[in-house]
Amino acid sequence: MSQKITRSLVLAPALLTSLFAAPVLADGKLAIKVGRIITMNGPEIVNGVILIENGRITAVGTNLKLPWDAVVIDQPKMVAFPGMVEAHSARGMDRPNENIDVAPFLSVADSIDPVGFYFEDALRWGITTINVQQGPECVIGARGMIVKPVGITIEDMLVKPDGGLKISASPKRGNSPATQQQALRAAFADLRTYLDDIVRDKKQGGDRAKREALFQGRDLEGEKSKGKPMGGSAWKVEGLELIPRGEIDEKQEPLLALVEGRIPAFIYCARPMDVERALEIARTNGFLARTTLVCYTACWKAADSIAAAGVSVVLEGPLVQLERDPITGKEIETFVPKIFADKKIPFALSSTNTTTESLWFQAATAVGLGLPREMALKAATVVPATILGLQKRVGSIEVGKDGNVLLFSGDPLSVTAFVEHVIVEGKPVYDRSKDIRVKALLEGKQPPGTAAADENGKTAPATAAHPHDDTGTVPLDEPEPKKKD
Amino acid sequence: MTFSIHLPVVLALSLASLPAGAQESKEPSNSWNVFADQVFTSDGDVIKNAMVRVQDGKIVAITPGTSAGSSDSSLRASAMTAGMIDLSARIHLGFGSVEQTSEIMPDMRVSDALDLFDEAWMRTAKSGVTTVLANPRDDDVIGGLGIALKTAGKATIAARTLKADAVLRGAIGSQPSSRNHPAFGSPADIFSRRPTTRMGVEWEWRKAMYDAAASRGDKSRVYRGSEHVLEVLDDKLPLCIQAWTTQDIRTAVFLKEEIEREKLGTPKLIIDAAAEAWKEPQLLVRSKAMVVLPPFPLQGRTGEGSFMAAGTAKMLSDLGVPIALSSHGAVAAELFLDRQAGMAMRGGLSFDAALAAVTIAPARMIGVDARVGSIAVGKDADLVLWSGVPFELTSRVVGVLVDGRLVLDPRPPQDSASAK
Repeated sequence: MSQKITRSLVLAPALLTSLFAAPVLADGKLAIKVGRIITMNGPEIVNGVILIENGRITAVGTNLKLPWDAVVIDQPKMVAFPGMVEAHSARGMDRPNENIDVAPFLSVADSIDPVGFYFEDALRWGITTINVQQGPECVIGARGMIVKPVGITIEDMLVKPDGGLKISASPKRGNSPATQQQALRAAFADLRTYLDDIVRDKKQGGDRAKREALFQGRDLEGEKSKGKPMGGSAWKVEGLELIPRGEIDEKQEPLLALVEGRIPAFIYCARPMDVERALEIARTNGFLARTTLVCYTACWKAADSIAAAGVSVVLEGPLVQLERDPITGKEIETFVPKIFADKKIPFALSSTNTTTESLWFQAATAVGLGLPREMALKAATVVPATILGLQKRVGSIEVGKDGNVLLFSGDPLSVTAFVEHVIVEGKPVYDRSKDIRVKALLEGKQPPGTAAADENGKTAPATAAHPHDDTGTVPLDEPEPKKKD
Repeated sequence: MTFSIHLPVVLALSLASLPAGAQESKEPSNSWNVFADQVFTSDGDVIKNAMVRVQDGKIVAITPGTSAGSSDSSLRASAMTAGMIDLSARIHLGFGSVEQTSEIMPDMRVSDALDLFDEAWMRTAKSGVTTVLANPRDDDVIGGLGIALKTAGKATIAARTLKADAVLRGAIGSQPSSRNHPAFGSPADIFSRRPTTRMGVEWEWRKAMYDAAASRGDKSRVYRGSEHVLEVLDDKLPLCIQAWTTQDIRTAVFLKEEIEREKLGTPKLIIDAAAEAWKEPQLLVRSKAMVVLPPFPLQGRTGEGSFMAAGTAKMLSDLGVPIALSSHGAVAAELFLDRQAGMAMRGGLSFDAALAAVTIAPARMIGVDARVGSIAVGKDADLVLWSGVPFELTSRVVGVLVDGRLVLDPRPPQDSASAK
């Protein structure tokens, strides 16, 4: 961590001055006046105001009486939309795939890079809540974490510490589907054996669990000194109350939490055949109710199983599956979200990348392919918020929720509309007009540090920072690039 | 493939015509009344609630202010544009079809190597692209003659051809020399030859041009295919050169300017894949070169290490440089031509300019605008029907006609069924 913070401080000046410069808010009061508010919680509001105090939305409506000391953002041409929610992402981390098969004792918190380009890009495309999960190359992976793409430490970014455990029902590299499934079953069988053993040991007057805990240097005070009977619905180890909870091995505790239904699971399914196996593990170990399937495109074929299990889905991969009939050779196109919609399975869209396949892009494309607009918008806001258990905090613009608001220059799904401002927990954190990287992408101007002018019109000495400009080309008849005042 | 193109059409029509009973049309019809709430003609007009009458593959009438009839030969959609034109579709050639005996192959015709039975044609047609410029691959300096052809119809080159010998195609940059190596060291093979550098590529270009020009008076300078290079010099055949980076765009422009300065000829230059055209747009204005842009990349980086700004199309359009958008052979749906028009608009290009850049502008560049590129009486009935405002992500291509033949049926399946 300390290394990351140091790094971020070095990078900070260039980035933060433009992207994360927040005006000082008196008592944290912010009023956003816009031409249109898409609340995702009831009808749209024309010429409305959103009032945010101390990070929470305190009023939404028209003709509100504003506190005299509120900072006002007045953008009558803009459209307010709730910050979008990414239900599952393996980005933003330094190496997202852990090698150990079963590693629930790890946490993505130790791998997230707060100044990573991904988080900056997420803000640019209007994603304000992200469930960071490890990649799918695992049997049971690390614990995820729900963050906002704002801040230079994990603590700043934190929205909810336990985003759930990542499990993969698809074979990790080197595994066959059979070995993968055996490894999954074995992980829970091991948990059970372990719990049986420590309970038996305790009953026989031993203190094995305690010695291990002390050896690992764990805290055994307070709540941790108390034992509790095993919760959950699938299987139980009698006498677990004899073991103080702090004594349970930290490598096993997250799995116990899963079996007791204390934390959610995100199970990755690359192919339809993985779905039943994912459901089996969740069912036999009692965490089906807290399971979300992360489904790659082809999994629509298992939609009936998913519907029967009553779980939600995060859709990954292309929205349309292209297949060739092996006999007739005919190409078959399947628009996947429609299938889930028809079977009434709650689904969230997800970004493949933050640029052309960001949430807004996926939602707009889904509408183009025939998904009702309201459903597409929900799949980027309300549904992922519910999947993450944050339905009371994010996903819509309503009183009591976090002040996460996007201001679009037009309709959020229009190809010509951009996220102009992002407000996260009441703080303006992104302003497109000051986004030097967008400027560089749009106009081809060099980012700061190269020969082209920076924001203040000052030219810095040219460096090789911009890879495309190492030819040292000089415009022939073109005047110097216009400098902004 | 002929069948797989026509079969759905034949089926749909035979189903549709059965109830009428009397006529038994087994031939695919190419006469339709096509209705749309908005018809974007590409001639600067938007006609509301119009009907475009298609007869025998041609547009015979455009009637504003009419509502849809309900006959079997009527189609309708929210919006209609002319069929899109992709000057860099690259859907047609395998790697093995590159002629490798020489770097200068002006008399090769790509039409001899096209596989019209490739399903990519149908996929392209269904995406709303009705005309493409098929070019030789860019592994030679001068690869040969490109052909403008329709993406659907009878599977013969003759039936599909819009303009044979539409351009002379070549490339500048690292691609033509990439596999060549000097003749020493390794065992000699077909790639033991020049050029091995960008310099060598440029040398080949200039030699081809100078020799062709000299061949006017000195028959000893005639070389294989030099007559086509001469056509380029005499402005009878556009020159289409792939050049990604600003360095290669300069080379192309300087080549054209040198030819003019030395009075060798007055070539018409189309620069394909000109990703870095934004860097020195004045060069393009000055030399009156035309530009075909490759798909807009994710973070700016694209072919041959170039960087393409999202505002490139707008910048060039504002300066009056003729631009066309292209898919450059992309297979991902988000890089298709309809999406590219949207991405160009995202970079600031107006709707009208974006529409032109995928219809009438490319048609003019290769001189086929008398037949395609806009919705006008007398032109080919190449029409695209959209579910909403064209180029928006929330809209899609729902219907396509090529020469009046229905390639993609906009009618929902139950409609054609209920017509039974």
